[in-house]
Amino acid sequence: MGKPKALVDRELCLACGGCISVCPQSAISMHGMRAFVTREKCISCAICIRTCPVGAITGEVY
Amino acid sequence: MKYDVVVVGGGPAGSVTARFAAEKGAKVLIVERRQEIGVPVLCGEGISRKIDDWGMLEGKRWIASTMEGARIYSPDKTCVTLSADVAGNETGYVVYRDIFDQELARRAVKAGAEIMLNTTATGLIKKDNEIKGVKVKQFNEEFEIQTDIVVGADGVESKVGEWAGINTCLKPTDLETCAQYTLTNVECSDAYCDFYLGKEIAPGGYIWVFPKGKDVANVGIGILASFSESGMAKKLLDKFIESDHRLKKGEPVRFLAGAVPVSLPVETVRDHLVLVGDAARHVDPITGGGLTHCLEGGKIAGEVIGEAVEKQDFTKEILMKYETGWKNAFGGKLKRNYAVKEIMLDMDDKTFNMLADSLKDYKFEELSTYSLIKALVLKHPTLLMKLKPLMKMSKEV
Ligand SMILES: Cc1cc2nc3c(=O)[nH]c(=O)nc-3n(C[C@H](O)[C@H](O)[C@H](O)COP(=O)(O)OP(=O)(O)OC[C@H]3O[C@@H](n4cnc5c(N)ncnc54)[C@H](O)[C@@H]3O)c2cc1C
Ligand code: SF4
Ligand code: SF4
Repeated sequence: MGKPKALVDRELCLACGGCISVCPQSAISMHGMRAFVTREKCISCAICIRTCPVGAITGEVY
Repeated sequence: MKYDVVVVGGGPAGSVTARFAAEKGAKVLIVERRQEIGVPVLCGEGISRKIDDWGMLEGKRWIASTMEGARIYSPDKTCVTLSADVAGNETGYVVYRDIFDQELARRAVKAGAEIMLNTTATGLIKKDNEIKGVKVKQFNEEFEIQTDIVVGADGVESKVGEWAGINTCLKPTDLETCAQYTLTNVECSDAYCDFYLGKEIAPGGYIWVFPKGKDVANVGIGILASFSESGMAKKLLDKFIESDHRLKKGEPVRFLAGAVPVSLPVETVRDHLVLVGDAARHVDPITGGGLTHCLEGGKIAGEVIGEAVEKQDFTKEILMKYETGWKNAFGGKLKRNYAVKEIMLDMDDKTFNMLADSLKDYKFEELSTYSLIKALVLKHPTLLMKLKPLMKMSKEV
């Protein structure tokens, strides 16, 4: 089983762009003013999860 | 569709760049993915009054309140005051960022620039590796806009630089992750901006209280992403508000999440390409303030772009005048304050308390990070040895 990938809760995301600016894989972009993770690019580093100021991104505990 | 200049992003950096390029006669288009310029507001809205000297904003509608000074609280609540009576009138404003941004956009349009809202840039058009334009998406329609120069004014999450091969990815040690409430029914009786430091309060950052007139204030937090855990910024902010007697009765009229790059600036020009504002990482690494650099840097960018269009020469060599220009204007300050940021990260709460105690009665010459750092170096030559050469390097405030 692969590591869990980042997933954005569209209800919680406030479109600050923080996760996008730190993702080392450029796996996140803004779609309809919510962050969106392209799963194929995500390497499960969890940087975005820890960065989100409102806890809108989950994966699992690493 | 062909323009001389396409500016991606209608924030302050984009609008100011567009304005000054258009004033030189360039045909300029701003593409902005939002449906309203400046909305939603993602900002603490504090700005130095030195913008008055630049005359880029007309009227007073964008001003929420005028600041008389700043107070910095160390972890044990020792207070360092930088006030207008010592520092002269050079303090600042708390602004309405939505009106502020729209006023800058209005001036760009007045100069001849066009604006396309609801339009997201999705990539660059290249031919033989040369930038020829921008790919955009408007609702469900995708199309291309030809242009000689692309300006990346797309803020902290900037993609334009990356599309052109510039590495703009931020390390978690170079990003402040933020949350802010605009609270009503708070007791902020004087016109001071307050800053609260401490590992428990805001690791690698600070909490700010910026009064916005009457009983309204912007109360926000920035923490370094490398210290952050999921949702931590909001949790720490809630905890602070709950424990502060002036704020805990407040009710929010706005909540926002935000991100501020606190890195060194990146490369800002390539053939046919310029980066401005947060996209160029033109943010003070200590305060997280970026607005003055958007205005100052945007003007230089716009003028240089205008000249490039006049000469029909869009090479890096010509556009490099912009990079030299912003480096002269505020490059030294950004470098110096980045070094200070690094040193501050190594300090514990005890050191902050000690430093604050030594400055609690200090009379500052002016309200700036420069005068604050200068005072620290004078008081603690050994502790801040590393800073001394930096002070010589740059006297920019
Ligand atoms: C919480 C917080 C508090 C702050 N407080 C202060 C403060 O008190 N004082 C201060 O000076 N600075 C402050 N800053 C920093 C300041 O907000 C920024 O420096 C400033 O907004 C940068 O302006 P800009 O024009 O570069 O980018 P932005 O204002 O971010 O504008 C970028 C624009 O580009 C658009 N865009 C992005 N990508 C695309 C695309 N692909 N296609 C089309 N459009 C796109 C966005 O929608 C946005 O409108 C704060 C920042 C935050 C997050
Ligand atoms: S960091 Fe969180 S709030 Fe900000 S854009 Fe990413 S998911 Fe949304
Ligand atoms: S987990 Fe890492 S690679 Fe995946 S989206 Fe988040 S920051 Fe990017």
